[in-house]
Amino acid sequence: MTLNANKTKRASSKRARVSRSAAAEREFRALLDAAVDAIVVIDHQGTIEEFSLAAERLFGYRAAEVIGSNVNLLMPQPHQASHNQYMQRFAETGEQRVIGIGREVRALHKDGSSFPCDLAVGRVSGVDPPRFVGIIRDISARKLAEEQLRRSETELRLAQQLANLGNYVVHLDGSEPDYFSPQMYRILGAEIDSRTGTLAEYLDEWVHPADVDRLRGAFAEMDAGSGSLDVEYRVTLRSGSAKHLHHIAQTIYDEQRRPAKHIGTVHDVTDRRHAEDLARQLQERLTHFARLSTMGEMAAGLAHEINQPLAAIATYSQASQRMLALPQHDPADVLAALTQINAQALRAGEVIRRLRNFVKNREVKREPVDCTRLLEDLRTLAETDARLHNIRLRIESESALPTVYADPIQLQQVILNLVRNAIDAMLDVPGHRREVVLSTRETSDGEVEITVADRGTGLAPDAAEHLFNPFFTTKAGGTGLGLAISRSIVRAHGGRLWHTPNAGSGARFHFTLPITPAATGE
Amino acid sequence: MIKETKPTVFVVDDDAAVRDSLRLLLKSVGLPVEVFESGQEFLDAERDDRPGCLVLDIRMPGMSGLELQVKLNERHSILPIIFITGHGDVPMAVEAMQAGAVDFIQKPFRDQDLLDRINQALEKDAGSRRMLAERNMIRKRLESLTPREREVLDLVVAGKANKVIAGDLNLSQRTVEIHRARVMEKMEAHSLAHLVRMVLEVERPEE
Repeated sequence: MTLNANKTKRASSKRARVSRSAAAEREFRALLDAAVDAIVVIDHQGTIEEFSLAAERLFGYRAAEVIGSNVNLLMPQPHQASHNQYMQRFAETGEQRVIGIGREVRALHKDGSSFPCDLAVGRVSGVDPPRFVGIIRDISARKLAEEQLRRSETELRLAQQLANLGNYVVHLDGSEPDYFSPQMYRILGAEIDSRTGTLAEYLDEWVHPADVDRLRGAFAEMDAGSGSLDVEYRVTLRSGSAKHLHHIAQTIYDEQRRPAKHIGTVHDVTDRRHAEDLARQLQERLTHFARLSTMGEMAAGLAHEINQPLAAIATYSQASQRMLALPQHDPADVLAALTQINAQALRAGEVIRRLRNFVKNREVKREPVDCTRLLEDLRTLAETDARLHNIRLRIESESALPTVYADPIQLQQVILNLVRNAIDAMLDVPGHRREVVLSTRETSDGEVEITVADRGTGLAPDAAEHLFNPFFTTKAGGTGLGLAISRSIVRAHGGRLWHTPNAGSGARFHFTLPITPAATGE
Repeated sequence: MIKETKPTVFVVDDDAAVRDSLRLLLKSVGLPVEVFESGQEFLDAERDDRPGCLVLDIRMPGMSGLELQVKLNERHSILPIIFITGHGDVPMAVEAMQAGAVDFIQKPFRDQDLLDRINQALEKDAGSRRMLAERNMIRKRLESLTPREREVLDLVVAGKANKVIAGDLNLSQRTVEIHRARVMEKMEAHSLAHLVRMVLEVERPEE
C-alpha cells in the first residue's frame, strides 16, 4: 500500500474523532461497517485510525489489534519497507504515487499469507495534517480466474504448437474481428497477426493448384447447407516447401438459422503424410518383390503359356502352305487358318502384356475396378500354373457385379497368390478332384467377396494358426510372404482376408473389398 | 497299303487353337481327323475300335495325357499314342514312352516331323491290326477242324511222321493222310512250314 504522508506532523486520531459530532460519527461508523470492501483510515504517518468490519474479515485482525499500529503491517515484504519511503517522499515533496489512481497490490493476512487486492486511496480533504482512506478489495478469486484463463490459453497455444493444430473463427457478418490462432500463422509460416485476407486470396496464394478446386468445392458444399467441411489438401509456403493440411470447419448459425460464423481447425499432417508415404513405399517395394518372385516361380508355366499360341501359329501356317499347294483347296479353310494365326499372335502378345503389367514396378493407383473383367484378365496368369499341374480352374462370377475401388494389379496379385496356394495344396490329389474354383459375389454388407476354393489336403491346425505370419511357409521353396502381403494389401483396401474349411475337403480363402461409393471423389 | 477302313487321327488337346490347327493340318494332307478337348470326352466317344492313332497333349487340366494313357492301357487299347509335350516335359515323356507310347514331339514342331511320326504310328497300327486279323482268321480255321482233325494237326505240328501218328491214334496210315490233307485244306496252308507257323502264331501269346 503506497499511502502518502504529509509534511505537517501531529494529528492525533483522538482529537479528530472528538471534533466530529456524535451523529456524524454514527453515520460514518455505519458506512464504514456496511461497506463490502475493506476500509482502512490512516494518519499522515501511516498509523491506523479506522479498521472496518470488512477489513477485519479480510486481514484477520480485530480493529482493536491494529488501530494505532503502522499500516505497513498489512503489507508483505518488500512493500513494507518501500511504503515507509513513499510516505516519507510524499511528506517531503508532495509527490503522489497512488492517491486517486488505485492499483493492484499484494496484502498481508494476519496468518502470514499474502493475497492480491485492488487498492484505492483517497486523501481526506480539509484536515491538517492529512489523513488517508484506503479501500481494499480482495481480488484473489478474480486473479485465480485470470491465472487459470492465462494458463489454459498458454496450454492451448502449447498444445496447438505440439499438435501443429491451428484454429480460427471467421465472422461472416463482419460483426466482430476474425480470429486466427498463432499456430495458424506458424503453420503457414506467416507473420503472426499479418493480414489474413479472404478465402479467395487464401486459395490463390497458398493452396496447391491441384487441390484448389477440391477445397473450393468443400467450402461451397458447406455454404450450400451441409454446414461442415472435412478436407485434406496441400499448401505451398513462401519458402517453397509444401505442407499437408487437414482442415475441419463448421458453420455456426444465428437464431434466424442464418450462417453467422465459421469455426475451424487446421491440422498440419505433413509429418504423418511423409511417414505414411515412406511406409507405403516400403510396402510397395515388398509387394513388387513378391510379384517378381511369383513370376520367377511361374516361369515354366509362362513359357508353356506362350508356347501354346506359338505352336498353334506354326501349325496353322504349315497347314495353310499345304492347303494352298493342293490343286483344289477350300479358300475358307485357308482364311480360317490366317484368322487364327492373327488371333494366336495377339494371344501370345497378350500373355506378355499381362505378364509385363504384373511385374512392372509402378505406382499404386486405385481406380474403379470391374471384378468380372479383372478375373478375365487374371485367367491367363492363373491358368498358367493350373495347366502346368493338370488342374482345372473354374471361374464362377456373378454377372453385373458392382465395381470396387482398388489397385487392379495388387488385386490380381492377391488372387493369383491364393490360386497358386490352392494349386500347391492339390498336387497329390487324384484327377477328378483337381479343380480350383474362383468365385465372386456381392455380400449384403456392400462388399464384393472373392473366394478361392480348393479340394486339397486342407489346413493343419498349427499351420492355420501361423498362416498369415511373415516367413511362415509349409512349402519347400516358399518365401512365406505371400499370405502376409496379400492380407496387408486387402487391409489397405479396407477389406478382410480369412479362410474356412471347404465342405468335403480342402480350404477356402475369402477376401472382401468395399464397393465403390456411387460418386467417388478422390 | 491299308486296304480296309481309312485310319483316323484322333487328337486330344485342351487348347482350342492347337487342336484346331492340328485338325486343319491333318485335313490338308487328306487324313481323316477327329478332335477331342479332354481325355474324358475321348473315352466317352464311340470309336468302334477304328484304326488310326492318337495325338495326345501330355498336360491337360483334369485328366492329364498320362492318365488317359493309363486308362487306355487298362482297356487293352492298341491305338498308338504320339505325345505332344512342351519344353521341360522330358521326364513326363520318358514315363509315357515306358508306358508304351510310340513317340513324342515337342511343340512348336515342324509339320513334317509330326506327319512322319503319324505315318509311322499308322503303319504300326495297321501292322498290329493285320496281325490281329490274321490271328483271328487262323483261330476261325482252327475252330472249323473236327476233333479228330485237331488231334492229327497237333501231332503234325509236334513233328511226328504219319506212321507214328497212325500208331498213336490207332488209325490206319491212309486215314491219317486223309485227315492231314483236310487239315491243310481247311487251314489254307501252302506247306507244312506254313501250317506250323500259323499254329505257333495263335498259340504262343496265349501261353
